[in-house]
Amino acid sequence: MTFTPITQYDQAADSDPANGRIAAYVLSSIFLFLGLAAISLLVFNVTSNAVIRAVLDWDTASPDPAPSLILAFLSEFGIILPVLILGAGVAFIWLGFRVRGRHITTGRWVHIAAMWLTIGSVGLAFLNAVQGLSAKPDTPVNIGGIVFPLIAAGGFAMIYIWLNRSMGRIFRGQEDYMARETRVAWNMLIPTLAVFIIVAARPLEQTFIRSLTDKRFAGQSIPQFVGLENYQSLLGIRLDTVTCRWDEEASACVTRNDGSIRWESIDRGLLEEGYRTVWTIQLPFGERAQALAISSLDDDFLQGIGTTLVFAAISVTLELLIALFMAVTVNSEFAGRGLMRAVMLIPWAIPTVISARLWELMLKDTTAGIINRVLMDMHIIDVSKAWLSDVTLQLPAAIMVDVWKTAPFMALLLLAGLQTIPKDLYEAASVDGASRIRQFFSVTLPLLRPTIGVALVFRTLDALRVFDLFNVLFGRQQLTMATYDYETLVNNQRDGYASAVSMIIFLLIAVFALIYVRLLNVETE
Amino acid sequence: MMNQRRINDILRRVLFYFLVFVIAVYALFPFYWAFSTSFKTENEMFRRATYLPQEPTLKNYEYVLRDNTFLVALRNSAFVAGATSVLSLMIGSFAAYALGRLRFRGRTALLYIVLSMTMFPAISILSGLYSIVRELGVFGTPFALILTYPVFTLPFTVWVLTSFFKGLPAEIEQAAIVDGATPFQRFRLVLLPLIAPALVTTGLLAFVSSWNEYLFALNFTITNPEYQTVPVAIAQFSGIDALQEPIAEIMAAAMVVTIPLVLLVLIFQKRIVAGLTAGAVKG
Repeated sequence: MTFTPITQYDQAADSDPANGRIAAYVLSSIFLFLGLAAISLLVFNVTSNAVIRAVLDWDTASPDPAPSLILAFLSEFGIILPVLILGAGVAFIWLGFRVRGRHITTGRWVHIAAMWLTIGSVGLAFLNAVQGLSAKPDTPVNIGGIVFPLIAAGGFAMIYIWLNRSMGRIFRGQEDYMARETRVAWNMLIPTLAVFIIVAARPLEQTFIRSLTDKRFAGQSIPQFVGLENYQSLLGIRLDTVTCRWDEEASACVTRNDGSIRWESIDRGLLEEGYRTVWTIQLPFGERAQALAISSLDDDFLQGIGTTLVFAAISVTLELLIALFMAVTVNSEFAGRGLMRAVMLIPWAIPTVISARLWELMLKDTTAGIINRVLMDMHIIDVSKAWLSDVTLQLPAAIMVDVWKTAPFMALLLLAGLQTIPKDLYEAASVDGASRIRQFFSVTLPLLRPTIGVALVFRTLDALRVFDLFNVLFGRQQLTMATYDYETLVNNQRDGYASAVSMIIFLLIAVFALIYVRLLNVETE
Repeated sequence: MMNQRRINDILRRVLFYFLVFVIAVYALFPFYWAFSTSFKTENEMFRRATYLPQEPTLKNYEYVLRDNTFLVALRNSAFVAGATSVLSLMIGSFAAYALGRLRFRGRTALLYIVLSMTMFPAISILSGLYSIVRELGVFGTPFALILTYPVFTLPFTVWVLTSFFKGLPAEIEQAAIVDGATPFQRFRLVLLPLIAPALVTTGLLAFVSSWNEYLFALNFTITNPEYQTVPVAIAQFSGIDALQEPIAEIMAAAMVVTIPLVLLVLIFQKRIVAGLTAGAVKG
């Protein structure tokens, strides 16, 4: 406990003690009122909510099972928002009591609260105005929703300005340096945190809650709690061994025209349960040829995971190699280097949707497609390939587009890393007689490692989330995790199920991020 | 002996410029192809591909510009991307100052929270955002996009600006502290002017990524075609003649909507590269 020195503030307060005390009482009652108002508004909103009312007034005679009250509350309000409003209410009440002590720290917090209340009220009025403008012409505009927040904003603004002027008259003492820095820091973080809560935390919370229900997308019906059912069918993966289809006469495995072995299907019982085999992998042991059958209750999702992982692995590897080559080339001093960097930015700047359509045109399956034409001119292929409709060529085509779009971008990142390597290291290396290639492997690569690490992390996470490219190029023909999620949500309207898909994708990406950060020891600070 | 070395030198130079040329062609060819296709007639589309248009025509551009869709889309995109970047810069620079220059408990945790925002795929919050946008009554308006785009623009704005703030020497602030400036005054009067170039850079990055966003734009403006942004307009474009895909027209439209962005990127090339690499190199 430090003694606060007597400051000008105290003298000012002493000169007019009654004034200060009355002001503190006024502020105290305003904040006590605001706190109570926030809490009662929350309670009122919850009890008058249509969905919650519907659950409370559920007709027990009806044949449908009664929906859960907790679930109704969670899906309408979530956890985060009620906790925040309660927290704000309690904080206001606490401030209301503390104001009477008239310490300067409390005064500053009251000041800040008044500022954010002003901004919040203006924001509310603005939102209602936007709503009014975008509503259909025949619906009445909610004038009260604009006017009342503005009046409140005016009131809070007056408190703010008043405190600005008479802070020293009402409050005493001195704030220590650390407390002040903390207060300013949190204050400046409030807008970011507010955005974070509205557009990231709340939706993510909703996704989690919905993943436990059978909610329909944009549907009005009250969803039912289904527990982990969605996850069960998504993660219902099993491994079986199957033998090949045996040809008694030839006493050999039956093969298809292309020479691949035909495998027996998994047990009938499993098929009836809904398991479908996605991949069969031949095992190197066993009397007859045996294979491992990987089956899933949701074969499209498993297939999507597979496609995404293969896509991410191949495209990120290729990108890294091409980017390294580009970066080392462009790193040398030459005329037109700035122009070259600009050129390399262009693939990145073109919207993915547009570059997907561009490549769609280039990859046309006849000689009208320029890729076919170029490859035929170079005698790499003899007949034109159906890049986009042949299932086996779809993934290579997508990788080609992605590599084109992001390799130059990655090269620019690596280029910046290259420029931080001191020139004299290379001079020393060449004095020691190291060749250019040797220099690359013993100087460039080790020193570039942190940059490569960061670029790899960001690129891998991006590749695992790939959406636009597959959505535009293939629609539902070739699904990745994200496009599968989208199809389930928007086209099949299965919000609950799609939310479970989202949660799994989220966790999968988080695992990747963690592994990467550990492996490469990437410093985040 | 001397001659041999010179020849080697020249050979090396030629090889080097050849490599540079290959890279440039690799990066630019699809763009060139779209450009050349946009001058071709619809008939030419089904013949063997040619590197140059056989019968160059401006018809495609005429169709695209006569129909107002793309000019409206350009305007919408400019508004949404502009507003989003200004908003993210304002909010993000506050947060970045607090995270980069002030000492308080919970700083590291907050940095990780910001980073975690970049991790999940946009699709995983689509349905949650849909409800929020509906509740707030901005569904189908550009405000739905301005409200939701900070999901991806804000984290990297905060991240990159934090690294810029950290990079400024401590002495700069100390003089102001001695003069009795409050932390907010130090931010506004001393540090903000110093990182103005970084603000331009991050703003451009936010602008480009909002301009290119597709998923939210598609789902939140689907009911109001007059508020479509550029990527949605291109993806939805089916042309005058609905029987076949009007490829040449699509390419003309793609040219119309990408050229402003490409110009922007070319003009601010140095700034953009600086911003991209600030995040990655300083990490």
